[in-house]
Amino acid sequence: MIQIKNLKKSFRTEEVETLALNNVNLTVEEGEFVAIMGPSGCGKSTLLNILGMLDNPTEGSYHFGGEEVGKLRENQRTRIRKGNLGFVFQSFNLIDELTVFENVELPLIYLNMKKSEREQKVNAVLERMKIAHREKHFPQQLSGGQQQRVAIARAVVTNAKLILADEPTGNLDSKNGIEVMNLLTELNQEGTTIIMVTHSDRDSHYAHRIINLFDGQIVTESQNKPFEVNA
Amino acid sequence: MFKMYFKIAWRNLIKNKVYSGINIIGLAIGLTAGFLILQYVNFEHSYDKFHSKKNSIYRVVADLDTPSSGKMESSRPACAVPPHMEEEFPEVISAVRFMRLELAVRKDEIKLVEDKAAAADRAFFEMFDFGLLQGDKKSVLQEPYSVVLTQETANRYFGNESAIGKTIRIKDEDINDLPFTVTGIMDEIPENSHIKANMIISMTTYSKGVLPRINDAWGLYDPAAYILVHPNTDPKQLEAKFPDFLERNSGETMRRDKMFVSLFLEPLEDVYLRSERGGEYSGDLGTIYIFSIIAIFILLIACINFVNLTTARSVERAKEVGVRKVIGAEKRQLSLQFVGESIIISLIAFVIASILAALVLPAFNEIAGKVISDGIFTNPINIAYLFLIALSIGAFAGIYPAFVLSSFKPVNVLKGNFSTGTRGIILRKGLVITQFTISITLIIGTIIIYNQMNYMRSQELGFDKEHTVLLPVTVSSAQKELKDNIDNISGVVSTTLASAVPGAYNNSAYSVIQNSQGEGQIANINAYFVDHDFISQFGLKVIAGRGFSRDFVTDSAQGMIINEKAVKFLGYASPKDALGATFSQWGKDGQIIGVIQDFHFKSLQENIQPLTMTMKPDETDLLAIKITGNNIKQTLADIQNKWEAILPNDSFNYQFLDENFDKQYRSQERFGSLFLNFAVLAILISCLGLLGLAAYSMLQRKREIGVRKVLGASVAQVVKLLSTDFLKLVTVAFLIASPLAWYVMNDWLSRFAYRISIEWWMFLLAGTSAIIIALATVSFHALKASLANPVKSLRTE
Repeated sequence: MIQIKNLKKSFRTEEVETLALNNVNLTVEEGEFVAIMGPSGCGKSTLLNILGMLDNPTEGSYHFGGEEVGKLRENQRTRIRKGNLGFVFQSFNLIDELTVFENVELPLIYLNMKKSEREQKVNAVLERMKIAHREKHFPQQLSGGQQQRVAIARAVVTNAKLILADEPTGNLDSKNGIEVMNLLTELNQEGTTIIMVTHSDRDSHYAHRIINLFDGQIVTESQNKPFEVNA
Repeated sequence: MFKMYFKIAWRNLIKNKVYSGINIIGLAIGLTAGFLILQYVNFEHSYDKFHSKKNSIYRVVADLDTPSSGKMESSRPACAVPPHMEEEFPEVISAVRFMRLELAVRKDEIKLVEDKAAAADRAFFEMFDFGLLQGDKKSVLQEPYSVVLTQETANRYFGNESAIGKTIRIKDEDINDLPFTVTGIMDEIPENSHIKANMIISMTTYSKGVLPRINDAWGLYDPAAYILVHPNTDPKQLEAKFPDFLERNSGETMRRDKMFVSLFLEPLEDVYLRSERGGEYSGDLGTIYIFSIIAIFILLIACINFVNLTTARSVERAKEVGVRKVIGAEKRQLSLQFVGESIIISLIAFVIASILAALVLPAFNEIAGKVISDGIFTNPINIAYLFLIALSIGAFAGIYPAFVLSSFKPVNVLKGNFSTGTRGIILRKGLVITQFTISITLIIGTIIIYNQMNYMRSQELGFDKEHTVLLPVTVSSAQKELKDNIDNISGVVSTTLASAVPGAYNNSAYSVIQNSQGEGQIANINAYFVDHDFISQFGLKVIAGRGFSRDFVTDSAQGMIINEKAVKFLGYASPKDALGATFSQWGKDGQIIGVIQDFHFKSLQENIQPLTMTMKPDETDLLAIKITGNNIKQTLADIQNKWEAILPNDSFNYQFLDENFDKQYRSQERFGSLFLNFAVLAILISCLGLLGLAAYSMLQRKREIGVRKVLGASVAQVVKLLSTDFLKLVTVAFLIASPLAWYVMNDWLSRFAYRISIEWWMFLLAGTSAIIIALATVSFHALKASLANPVKSLRTE
């Protein structure tokens, strides 16, 4: 699904050039659950952003579904992202002015889906995430765990093939964190590819494969026997 | 999707009530002001456009060229021109003369002076689209002694009864209390017509009655003239035929009088605003331009507020933009969303502005001195205009914030690594400077206009204008008796009979006066016809020779007094040298017996011109009465009693000279007060923007303020720190505004023959006011921020 070769990403300020990623090579197959780990500032999030097509690499190639996407313009990247990719963030990133229902509905609106179809899909995913009873609430009226469930609902409502999760449990207590990880595992078992950036050893054990980054380079890569999903 | 945009916009508005309020109110005030000014500008442009034949109607105007006084541009041709044009040019379908009159009207016991009366030729109602409620437009003005009244005028004399076929008695200089038959009732003439009247008598009253030679009077320049031509007529080709036409009809007269006439055509639509020949009702294109610019400025200030507040608040919207982009929103969709939000805000402002405009419209009409619109909601076009302006502003002001917001990179904003960038800050500062540049320019303008007005009002005019009552007396035979009787009233100091007084219309007389070379100089010169008491009563200073005296019997028949300007005009080195010069004027021959000091017999907008004074009792029609100023009410009652005893059939109408003189400045005063009002509005809107911007700036610097306070900064130091930034902007604006205002106002002042000079203190006053206003606005928030508990601000950060 994903093939990255000799990928480099540097950031330039007026005086300094910082190399965030240096010669990264990575392949992710469909249906995989990959965890990216490493200390702060090692380039995890930069890599996730490039994988999520939110940013372009400075050098190297990035093939997504066989297509080179590393040099696309913003609008072209947006079109590929739409419906194919879902994002889950540490700070949830829900839109405060929209209700739970409206937040989840948003990606479908951008896909120009009909209203009746949207309603059906949103209701189904909210039921599945066990948050349907809160559909008229605004994000600030929910607990952290509930907000992250809404964020996951929003990421999967389009039947995304790939979910990119950036520290999805970072702002949650352990009980809610486990719930979120179970949800992601469930989605993965149903065929969704998941790439997750995490600091948490416990969370990384939900993944099939763990990639360790250090100073912008992949230093180790290990296969993992994932946790069973808690019922 | 649009529903969603609306929802988001609405929820954002509600969430940030204060800033939304500032934004919407600022925009609503701007819209109201801009809309009213545009209504005014539009109204001024609408003059005479309602006539269906407007493209084929022309006003005939004349240039009069005399060897001495050069070319004079007149808005009226000779009386004989229109009927002869109708007869001699196949291109001309009809010609109409329109002569403004002031008529004394009587019906039984009702006696009134109608100052909006006129005489017009038969085709008047066919040429122009002035409607008739009763009567046939082809014939209402056909017969002599016919009169057409507006309904309101008819009601004054006939109450609710039908006026058609009934008679009223009319009197003026030429018509001696004659009965006129009401042949028609006309609609009120619209405000946006340069032709105005509420009573029109037939021109045949003169041509077939009291002035039978009027149709061949090539030397009488009284009525305005209009011709209706066939649709395909080229006005230039028609104009080319005028020299032959004049030569044929009045060549000899022109050569005899040494007054050479040229005729021109002005399209009807251009008469009010574009003609430089004026006329009774004419607009000022310069004023229209100034107000159009002010309207654009005010709308610009409101737009700037919107752009500034929205981009300043972009930090708050950044996360939303990031999220939307991540889940699939394209830049175009986001831009649309933000422009849409901007339009929603402007449409809310539109609703408020409609109500505001409806509320202030009567006051605006009052200031403008005319009914520009009788109601915002009476005409759907008004609302459509306002709606379109609001919509355009919404779209225009939303474009930049939409561009900024939709350009945010999701990677950055979602990580919180986000700033609006120095470019955004520079732009915001630039916009604040623009707003204050406009505001300070308007303040300087207001100060200069008011000083000029004060200067004109307080300027030494060279004559005594206080406590003088003016009585028009058209009945020559009664003038002497009236003067003698009124002289005896205890509250009356003196009286004088004259053809004109300062501030009122005066005749120009064709004159031949001996100049310094000993030659007879021909001139069309300002002429006052007065009696023995005029010079002393008005406190005019005789600087050479003497005034008219009863001791010299020849004075009344042969004496002339001139002013200093006339001395210069005739080429004499000193006033004394002009004494004894011979003259010939309006059938009178004699000598100059005295020279008076120049006085302002016209407004201070005009230079003092040469003036002659002679005694000609048959030309006087004004009695100027100097009263003591004690118990004015009783004195006026006494004067009225005398009037009614001598002229029982004439209505008693008086005016005060000073009020009459100051009327000349009315349009300038209106201009001044409109300018002041809009300057205040511009500053108010700018301050609203500054208030919002300051609030946001304080919010962004909360942590910095907290740290500074922890490190020992006092409240005063923090307020100073926060206010200085804004004051710098106002100072820069002041530096830009000063030369700009100087240039514009110097140009405005050049319209006045007597004007103030622009002083440094005017700029200082404007700059200080702007700084004080800005400081007051900003320091409210600065003080609030500096008084906040630093622990709280640091913790929340």
